[in-house]
Amino acid sequence: MNIQDFQTELFAAGEKAGFEEMELFYSSSKAVSIAVYHQEIDDYTIMEEGGVSFRGLFKGKMGYAYAERIAADSIPLLLEEALNNAEVIEVDGGEDLFEGSPEYAEPRPFSVELEHLDPEKMIQAAMDLERIAYETDERVAFVQYSYASKGVNETLIANTKGLLCHSKSAFTSLGLYLTAQDGESTATGGESDFTIQSFADLDSRKIAEKAVHEAVSKLHASSIATGTYPIIFRYDTATELIGSLLGQLSAESVQQGYTKLKGKLNEQIVGENISFVDDPLMKDTITYAPFDSEGFATRKKDLIRNGKLISFMHNRKTAKKDGVESTGNAVKGGFRSPVGVGPYNLYLEPGDSSLNDMIANTDKGILIVELQGTNAGINFTAGDFSLAAIGFLIENGTITRTIDQFTVAGNVFDLLNDVSVIGNDLRFRSAITLPSIKVNGLQVSGSQTLE
Amino acid sequence: MIQKSVAENVIQAALETGGDFAELFIEDKRNSTISMIGGVVERALAGRDYGVGIRILKGEYSVYAFTSDDSEENLLQVARSAAQAIHSNPIDLTLNFQKKIIENKHHIRVLPNSVSKKQKVEWLRRAHSAAMAYDPVIAQTTATFIDTLKDICIVNSEGLFVEDRRAYNRMGISVIAESGNNRESADFGPGSFGGLEFMEQLDIEGIAKEAARSAKTILFADHAPSGNFPVVIDNEFGGVIFHEACGHGLESHAVARKASIFADKLGEYVASPIVTAYDDGTIPNAWGSLNIDDEGMATQRNLLIENGILKGYLIDKLGGRKMNMDPTGSGRRESYKYAPTSRMNNTFIAPGESTPEEIIANTELGVFAKYMDGGSVNPTTSDYNFSVSEGYMIRNGKIAEPIKGAAIIGKGIDTLKKIDMVGNNLGLGVGMCGASSGTVPVTVGQPMIRVSELTIGGRGGNS
Repeated sequence: MNIQDFQTELFAAGEKAGFEEMELFYSSSKAVSIAVYHQEIDDYTIMEEGGVSFRGLFKGKMGYAYAERIAADSIPLLLEEALNNAEVIEVDGGEDLFEGSPEYAEPRPFSVELEHLDPEKMIQAAMDLERIAYETDERVAFVQYSYASKGVNETLIANTKGLLCHSKSAFTSLGLYLTAQDGESTATGGESDFTIQSFADLDSRKIAEKAVHEAVSKLHASSIATGTYPIIFRYDTATELIGSLLGQLSAESVQQGYTKLKGKLNEQIVGENISFVDDPLMKDTITYAPFDSEGFATRKKDLIRNGKLISFMHNRKTAKKDGVESTGNAVKGGFRSPVGVGPYNLYLEPGDSSLNDMIANTDKGILIVELQGTNAGINFTAGDFSLAAIGFLIENGTITRTIDQFTVAGNVFDLLNDVSVIGNDLRFRSAITLPSIKVNGLQVSGSQTLE
Repeated sequence: MIQKSVAENVIQAALETGGDFAELFIEDKRNSTISMIGGVVERALAGRDYGVGIRILKGEYSVYAFTSDDSEENLLQVARSAAQAIHSNPIDLTLNFQKKIIENKHHIRVLPNSVSKKQKVEWLRRAHSAAMAYDPVIAQTTATFIDTLKDICIVNSEGLFVEDRRAYNRMGISVIAESGNNRESADFGPGSFGGLEFMEQLDIEGIAKEAARSAKTILFADHAPSGNFPVVIDNEFGGVIFHEACGHGLESHAVARKASIFADKLGEYVASPIVTAYDDGTIPNAWGSLNIDDEGMATQRNLLIENGILKGYLIDKLGGRKMNMDPTGSGRRESYKYAPTSRMNNTFIAPGESTPEEIIANTELGVFAKYMDGGSVNPTTSDYNFSVSEGYMIRNGKIAEPIKGAAIIGKGIDTLKKIDMVGNNLGLGVGMCGASSGTVPVTVGQPMIRVSELTIGGRGGNS
């Protein structure tokens, strides 16, 4: 059953069942992923997934339901579940449906080339990654996996108030993960890259060499003495650490009491050198989005400017509660999820130092290139973190040895008050991006006696 | 869930290009979630997931495809496009399905959809009220109830045709304690592999109060110290240390490629002689149990370590081929969207001789980890970590002041060899484990144990 016919039947049946307003959210993705091991195809996965979620206003309350099958027999189930769910909702008038923004930025670019990319080319690229990795350094003990994948994603939002938003995008990615060994020492490292335009943009050699360098550089690590050290978080670890806490800027977290930032609008909350911007309309990023998950037109805006909290991220429900306009930050983690709040392309405004300059200007400190346990070691409510890490000791402006088996601990708000240098190395790869940053001092725990 | 003739045609199509094994995994899942924030139901969501996964093996090579369109025409097309990834001569196979009736060891007495949403809301309200009533510092609660009913059917070219029904339900309670500008939260999530009879006997108020007590304790706790200490880890969810330090390293997908520190170590000492550990998927209605794994094999009680010596791995079908060993009923996947791989079920350290009181009393200066959040591991290097949400210093053999924000790190075998006391109070805790075949329910467990030295990372300085 095609999605247009499904929508027509669903809305007709919903009207009969007594829904006042109705919305259909459809998403589908088709992808192929190929992994290579020892120059043979090791895994080949073909994915076809998709489904619909329905939300409808019944006696002033919004009920949600979803189904994977786009077939006539899903319609009664969707309506019945949404109705049952609406009945237990206890907040009145929080949500309504949106008729659409007056205008939208141009649609996402869609690469027909990537949609029709020949799997043979992908297999060849994955084999190249593996081969180049082995050729690059004899300490590469084995490439655990080397893969290529391509996918096409499609989203449609349509409702009874006239909203109709549609987007379609294609991507391809290449990556590998490997083990390096030297004597008794073992380390792992990986790298990946993606394109939304042309397969020719992906450079297998660069990706493979970077993965090798990452793993090899972590060999022969030992721990470090407990103490307070200046810390440089490389762009990827900075993104992982700070990025995981930017949920604090969601009005939903604020309204639910999960953030310290309640009531702090227009106050200085972090250092004056810190500005966070969300720009969903930046061309060539994978997160480019002219409309959010409610069909609201997105725009570029400051969240933090020179350390001052300018705005929270809002969807239409949280905006209504706070008496402001939506910021176009409604997000849905796939068709199953309800509408929440989140960033599209949130980044820390870069400075002008390269990572190499940051290292060269450090007398004694630690460069962190891997964080572990971010799934549990960050306390989102208080902003405290304590995480295992891998990195390098810097002495007199030079990296002198590799360190692991240590933890770095602190509080993210304190940390953002204590950033001394901001790097120029923004790499847009996900909804949140930070450049490398240097922090004056954080607590490090380690043991040099540990083997 | 699928007609035999359709299954037979799809499997034949999957094997047209020379695959030596084909399997269909059909899943029909009903899911419902209700969330209450601050005593008000904000969200209720329900839905149905349905789809079919088709796997083809050729030696050690695997092809996987999935679709949510189960018409015979589409399944044949998906099977044929998956088969295109194999270029070989077809093997002459005679398919003879024998529908196998499995013995249901994990009873479901009260089906999720037989209980009204209003009743489920009532459970959430009881949790909210009990937590709020605990103390004036309790500022906010979030309570969530999730139930799932999942029917699966597995058919393969070896003649297997088997169905299973799985039910899960879990209540989450998250409590925030607030004082001045400080806030801390504590989360609890009891759950059951079975029906809602679990909720009917659950001490909802007791759990909500414990969450409130923990949040309040953390709110007024000092930051954990940093440095090396003897660490006493409590029972139940404390078993996350074994799950990370050892369990993942015993999974065949890592062992077969020697991407695990535990590869080639069967029969060797990998732990202190007082450590014996199992992974047991058969414990009645335990969170990580199953009648059959997601490849259709009955789960079993697998001995992993006996008196410090490595005795076994966790092996799925493909891992078995790569390692030339028998599968252990450990092939698992989150849903039809994932090819199965070797995973844990209920993994625990067996009880030892010491009483919890003796373990504390024998520790001069150390850290007591009472409640843990999750952790992670790199199986290749065996570097693992986990977080302590509520902990205490141990001073002069007594539990002293509370501490918060501690990460504990170590290396797998190194840690297992430093376990110097094992308690007699085995308990299990429920968790969700994420890996390449998705997120699956697992139990971690242990009695109270002591590790002679671990690195504690906290914001406090030397203690």
